[in-house]
Amino acid sequence: MKKCILQSVLILSMIVSLTQVWAQEKQLTASQILEKVDNVVNAPEDQDLKMKLILINKEGKEEMRELIMLQKGSEKRIAKFISPASQKGIAFLSLPDDIMYLYLPAFKKTRRIASHIKNTKFAGTDFTYDDMEAKRYSEKYISELLKRDESHYILQLKPKEGVKTDYSKLIMWVRADNFYPTKIEYYDRGNNLYKVMTREKIEKVGKYWISKESEMEDLKAKHKTKMILIDVKFDSELSDEIFTERYLSR
Amino acid sequence: MTHRVFLLTAIGLLLLCFSCHLLAQESEGSLVKWNGYLQTENRLQLKGDNDFSWQEYRLDLKTEVKPAEKAKFYSEIWLRSFGFPTVQNSADLLDKNKISPLNLDFREAYVDLYGFLFNNLDICIGRQRIAWGTADKLNPTDNLNPDDLEDIWDFGRHLGSDGLKASYYLKDYTFSLIYIPIFTPAVLPRGDWASALSPSMELPTGITLKNLTDTIIMPKNNLKEGSITGVKISKNFFGYDFSLSYVYGRDDLPLARKVTFTPTSTPGEVNIASELIYPRMHIAGIDMAGAIADVGVWAEAAVFFPEEVKMTTDLSALGMGIQESIALDDRPYVKYILGADYTFKNGTYINGQYLHGFIHEKGNDNLEDYFMFGLEKKFFNDKLKIIPIDGGVEIKDFKDIENNYALILSPEIAYFPVDNAELTLGIRLIDGKGTTAFGRVKDKDELYFKVKYSF
Repeated sequence: MKKCILQSVLILSMIVSLTQVWAQEKQLTASQILEKVDNVVNAPEDQDLKMKLILINKEGKEEMRELIMLQKGSEKRIAKFISPASQKGIAFLSLPDDIMYLYLPAFKKTRRIASHIKNTKFAGTDFTYDDMEAKRYSEKYISELLKRDESHYILQLKPKEGVKTDYSKLIMWVRADNFYPTKIEYYDRGNNLYKVMTREKIEKVGKYWISKESEMEDLKAKHKTKMILIDVKFDSELSDEIFTERYLSR
Repeated sequence: MTHRVFLLTAIGLLLLCFSCHLLAQESEGSLVKWNGYLQTENRLQLKGDNDFSWQEYRLDLKTEVKPAEKAKFYSEIWLRSFGFPTVQNSADLLDKNKISPLNLDFREAYVDLYGFLFNNLDICIGRQRIAWGTADKLNPTDNLNPDDLEDIWDFGRHLGSDGLKASYYLKDYTFSLIYIPIFTPAVLPRGDWASALSPSMELPTGITLKNLTDTIIMPKNNLKEGSITGVKISKNFFGYDFSLSYVYGRDDLPLARKVTFTPTSTPGEVNIASELIYPRMHIAGIDMAGAIADVGVWAEAAVFFPEEVKMTTDLSALGMGIQESIALDDRPYVKYILGADYTFKNGTYINGQYLHGFIHEKGNDNLEDYFMFGLEKKFFNDKLKIIPIDGGVEIKDFKDIENNYALILSPEIAYFPVDNAELTLGIRLIDGKGTTAFGRVKDKDELYFKVKYSF
């Protein structure tokens, strides 16, 4: 009898705890969810990624680019092309406050680039410079929770006042279990669906979640770019010095 | 002989490249990497007999070796079939170099050592291009490497210089020190362009020219005469990049300091012999780059402090004595450039620059004004690039623009059929008055076609 009471108490307390957790999650506001998204996506201290970009046109013809991307925190990012040969060595540095540099090996010159370039295509891919920028969504967008189903939160993100972007809004699907964004719809200034990014092969590497395959599709151009991570390293203690003009040309 | 040396060098280089390639295949992640491109270019004159004005087949080979994290070797070589057959007699037919002129251009070869002695110090030793300035292709502060004006339309091209560059990084300051021990003159443009960039010579009334010869007086190959030194400090202030620079060097384009007139047997006809030098000068520079709203902006200025060059005109053989004048006075003069660029929402890119003082101009009274502009747009996921507007306006005298202007328009279309391949077709239209540099070659309108494949 005593054992039965103890079991009942334990089960009851477990139910209470689970209910509390569920209640807490249920109470999460859109901005809290977005904050969690930022924390998950930018969780590593730094990232050292080697990736393949496959450009696929409407006939299904493919072209490939390979690049190395290093990121520290959520504000510093450097990307360097390994292939194709015509773009080898071109490197892009993104720093806080919209400070961006492009290294052009053919001219042996690092050029400061202004923010007008942010909404143009990055090296012919369907990602813009803005998409490639290291950023925290919660700093640039106001979020609204549209829906929550069994597995996902669906958020609507609208740019905050003063934020320069070509997108009127983003609709983001966020996994409820780990707060990793799995799909983002991008709407243009006319509020038409313009691009869709989907993230697949979401795996835990060490302590962090990452998508090893993602795809950006431009619905107007009927063109898409698949991004496949070949090599992933987290927390390699990348020095701040890497994210400088000094390293851009190396 | 030259041809044989060239061939042996070419074979050696190709073998080196193939062995590098095999090495790369043998061990993944090999330290040796090589790449490059093949570029062909033909230009056809649109006026007169529609002669070809340019023929170049260029094989660019780059080698990069990173034996350690803190060291890098880099080299770039051009192997070229350049120009047209120069056969004049049957004996020339035995000389392959006259049938198909070949050319080896050793562009760069240097070693980078990062964190040398101190963690914050990088040095670069060898033949290298040191590109200073924030403007687009035309940089008044870019005075370390000699100008390579072989192709006048390839603005901003310079030769590499054999020297040492040391860069020290302290917080967000960058200090650069450059030392180039031997002076190298600029490469002058070919054909009509050489005269377009030279000051026009006025002969005394009633005198005609038969022959013009010149002698170049090169600086001595010692540290005092031949060396070039440069320093630069760079820093970002409030989101704008600034740098201050100083160069003690020489003008890399020659300047006449003595002209001797000698009469020929024909009355009123003379031969002229001139003596040219490369004036010493101090050059202080400043540049900036940043953005105002979304518009990219840049500015660059260089103050030139030249040595005074006196000009002797020896007319004694004509019974007119010797005249002294000033070829280049020692008053400082300023060349500067202001520019901006912007990309519209639809992807159209525009770029505009205002330049005071072109590459070849020197002295306060000889600096002209140039407005450069460009507009380009890419289509079909960057497969097609159209540049409907590209060119510039040269104005020699704002008070009399009608008689002192030149206009250059160069629309272009580039198609990228597959990765690494680029086909370009363009046209250059020039109009203007003979008083201006570009106006002097107004009859040289041309059509050009380029093919480039990178590997």
